Amino acid sequence: MKPPEIDWQKLNELIESRKTEQWGLIPLLQDIQKIFGFIPPESIEPIADALGLFPAQVQGVITFYAGFSLAPRGKFVLRVCCGTACHVKGGRSILRLVQQDLKLKEGETSPDYQFTLESAACLGACALAPTMMVNRDYFGKLSPPKVAGILNYFGKEAREKE
Amino acid sequence: MEVITLTINGKTISCNPGVSLLEAAVQNGFPIPTLCHHPELKPFGACRVCLVEEEKNGRLMAACVTPATPNMVIRTNTPRVLSHRRNIVSLMLASHPESCIVCDKGNRCRLRQVAANLGIGEIRLDPMPSDQTPDQLNPFIYRDLSKCILCGKCIRADHELVVTGAIDYSFRGIHAYPATLQDKPLEQSGCTFCGTCVAVCPTGALTTRSIYVGVPEREVDTVCGFCGVGCRLRLGAVGGLVMEANPSTGIKSVNGTTLCVRGHFGHDYLNTPKRLTQPMIRKEGELVPASWEEALQETARRLLQIREQHGPRSIAFLGSSKCTNEENYLFQKIARSLLKTNNLDNGGYALGRRLLNCIEKRTDGSGRFNFFAGSLSGLEKSDIILVIGADPPQSMPVVGYYLKRGAVDGIPLIVVDPRKTELTRYSTLWLPVRPGADADLIHAIAALILGQKGQDASFVDRFTEGFRGYAESLSALDIDQICDRTGLMRESLEKAAELLSHKKIAFVVGDGVLKQRSGQESVDALLNLAMMTGSIAHKGAGFYIPAKENNLVGAWDMGCVPDALPGRRFVGDKEARREWENAWQTDLPEDPGMDLVQMIYAAEKGALRGLYIMGENPLRSLPQPERIKAAFAKLDLIVVQDILRNETVSNAHIVLPGAAFSEKKGAFINMEGRLQHLAPAAIPPGEARPDLDILASLARNLGDADSPASLEQVRAEIGRVLPLYAPAAASGQLVWIQKGERGGAAIPFSPVRNSVQEKSDPAYPHVAVIDSPRYHLGSGTRTGLSARISALNTHGGIAVAPEDALKWGVSDGDTIRLTSAVGTLKGRIRIDKSMRVGLVSVPLGDDANQARCLIGLTPLMDSASPGWNTCPVFIERTEGEAP
Repeated sequence: MKPPEIDWQKLNELIESRKTEQWGLIPLLQDIQKIFGFIPPESIEPIADALGLFPAQVQGVITFYAGFSLAPRGKFVLRVCCGTACHVKGGRSILRLVQQDLKLKEGETSPDYQFTLESAACLGACALAPTMMVNRDYFGKLSPPKVAGILNYFGKEAREKE
Repeated sequence: MEVITLTINGKTISCNPGVSLLEAAVQNGFPIPTLCHHPELKPFGACRVCLVEEEKNGRLMAACVTPATPNMVIRTNTPRVLSHRRNIVSLMLASHPESCIVCDKGNRCRLRQVAANLGIGEIRLDPMPSDQTPDQLNPFIYRDLSKCILCGKCIRADHELVVTGAIDYSFRGIHAYPATLQDKPLEQSGCTFCGTCVAVCPTGALTTRSIYVGVPEREVDTVCGFCGVGCRLRLGAVGGLVMEANPSTGIKSVNGTTLCVRGHFGHDYLNTPKRLTQPMIRKEGELVPASWEEALQETARRLLQIREQHGPRSIAFLGSSKCTNEENYLFQKIARSLLKTNNLDNGGYALGRRLLNCIEKRTDGSGRFNFFAGSLSGLEKSDIILVIGADPPQSMPVVGYYLKRGAVDGIPLIVVDPRKTELTRYSTLWLPVRPGADADLIHAIAALILGQKGQDASFVDRFTEGFRGYAESLSALDIDQICDRTGLMRESLEKAAELLSHKKIAFVVGDGVLKQRSGQESVDALLNLAMMTGSIAHKGAGFYIPAKENNLVGAWDMGCVPDALPGRRFVGDKEARREWENAWQTDLPEDPGMDLVQMIYAAEKGALRGLYIMGENPLRSLPQPERIKAAFAKLDLIVVQDILRNETVSNAHIVLPGAAFSEKKGAFINMEGRLQHLAPAAIPPGEARPDLDILASLARNLGDADSPASLEQVRAEIGRVLPLYAPAAASGQLVWIQKGERGGAAIPFSPVRNSVQEKSDPAYPHVAVIDSPRYHLGSGTRTGLSARISALNTHGGIAVAPEDALKWGVSDGDTIRLTSAVGTLKGRIRIDKSMRVGLVSVPLGDDANQARCLIGLTPLMDSASPGWNTCPVFIERTEGEAP
């Protein structure tokens, strides 16, 4: 399967709207990330030109933040917590389980662009340990059956949408 | 300003507010180790090695980023501070490869010095080697990021000093490193290979690729031998050969820590096997080795013979804009006083000197000191900068750095150029004028400024004359018609006028004007604009002429020109002539001699019989090489004094091997008027001798027994008439060739003349622009022999607009043939989005400077001359032929 097509016109409009606003780099990147799911590497130079920055500077900001990605990501981004509390409660086993189920390693995206698997240092919900996030939703007090259920649910949703 | 007092290591000191603790401590004799600090860069505080302790509250602070405040009590070397420093450096070493023994940085490594001073031998930490692999595909920089300590100096130098932006930090934490865009190798990134990052890198992460590994035997501070910026260079020599070049440190110089690719990496041409190592005389058609005595006697004998048989006007001398003041002085003295000819010129002709001469003439010889701005640092202080017909980031990168830094700091920048150049990215306004219509554009802008009453009325009243007539002809101009001719919108002209009104302008004028058709009209228009706005003798305002040769100014000042004696006094000026007649105890010819192009015309007609060329390569640098070759074939004698076996040497009758700038003493004057001294770092190869020695021996052979023989004697002789040029290197004095006060006479406005329109010829529908690329200087005689620059393989690279490429059905790398009225060339094309449709750009210097074949050899001064910068061409695809 191919990664989602990029609507270049829309991207250019977004960039145009922030022209010469150097401070607007991060909001702009956030918009692009939100709308397209990633920041196309080809857009770095137009962004830099519009904002009056060097392309390498823009790349520096993108690669600095975990919230920005230069590669297309799946429709559902799974972030499994590996923080201290989750670790104690078996977060690593949860991560292994997800890896086995989706046949993905950390940082990888499934070939059908449905799932991206990431680990996080802390999701800030230690009381719910072990936790993971799917896009912006939290799932806490995980156990193997619960994980299987979550993956099944999103997998089905993905299939239905097609 | 109020001075503040604080205590450092028990000593009460005072300093100015705003000074960092580091500066305060170092000024007062308390050294603090640093890794990320550099005096030319903004403080950054990345390495934390400069930690100091505030005694009162026990805080540890990085001295480089902490401003000194009153009543601080600072300790720079308590056990606590030292222990922290050791920890920090140990952590750096834990992720640093243990390859010091084979590291090219050797003893110059700052990290190694700092570690040694802190007494760190063994580090008791688990090594955490980096998995970065070296980038070594380009011929200039070896980039081994496993040795990087993330001080950020390269990134900051790239952003703050040279404003290129090829690299920045990428990723974070343990994964961070300075990366190019998309991690491409340097030659595919925006990197211009100026080497500034190499010069500032504290470790072996960035080093120069060289055949020699390690630290040179000795280092000598001298002046770069390439362009007219006159960068201070530190040459590293091994066994009498120059092995590396770096920017000089610790000297206040025009370039600071920056250089360009030519200065930093191109000097390996000095060791080429093509250096001339012994005198040669042509016997039976072949150049055969001869002794110095024989070669010099033969030269003198044949020169005198020609003078006897055909008169002094049948001999011409071509001096060099690359040789020193003293050499050029002695050279023209030989021509004028011994052979009685004013047929003298230098390579500066091809760089638009004739037009600059017009400024001198118009202002009664004082023009240079009034109109020319002087120090390049003025560009960073000026009100507004107007760049016309120049692309300094390519042709003279160090001037480009000044312009880009100024623009980034908020100085408005107007760029007049048909193409989108690197500068247009930083410009407030870009005027993509049609080639050759610059004069019209300037007139229109002047008229619009006048319409807004944006002129400097008090300046005009006090110092100029003829303003009313000028203003009248300006108001009579039809702006819409000019818009039509220049291909610009009225709005952009109005915007330009608005920006320039009530401002003192800094003009940067390049080849696009100086070597262009209607150059005279454009220069006059620019002078009028400068006078009208009072952009003269005001901070940063005035003219900056990027002189493309290192001693273009000096060769001119020393009289290596047909119409002026040393000191730029016109030959026709009786008083000036008498002064030099007294100095030389002889009488001098009074009629102006032939310039470079006239010499070749005269050779074609048979009027010229002998030509002495010092340090120039007309067969490569001038248009129409075949024509010049034919003209040279008619001469009875061609003497070439040079350092390289080049195209002109192969046509010589007598060859005298000289010394390169790195092998001799003398002085150059840069484009600012700064007199700088050379220091020899290497030894001339074989029997080659410093050019001044050769000329002094020649003068004796020509019968002048009193000719000054040493550099000191020549300098003393110059100094007796022109004391400004005499100071010796030892005085350590920074000398500027400037005269302060203006002459009394008002400067006249010149009449408004439109540019001469080129008649379009349907046979040659396109326009080729001859460009000066970054990798070659001028015609590339020297840079073409640099192994590193040759390895970059820049061949061809004729830039065309994507629209044109589509129309002709060609793609990147295809070969095309350009045909002009005088010649053809073939080259690979490079599709360039910034090119204007209908325009192609041919790089100067590449492939034995084939670009010159397209241009006609016409006098540059003539307003009917089509100029040497653009020419109409016909373009066709070549099928299956190699370029």
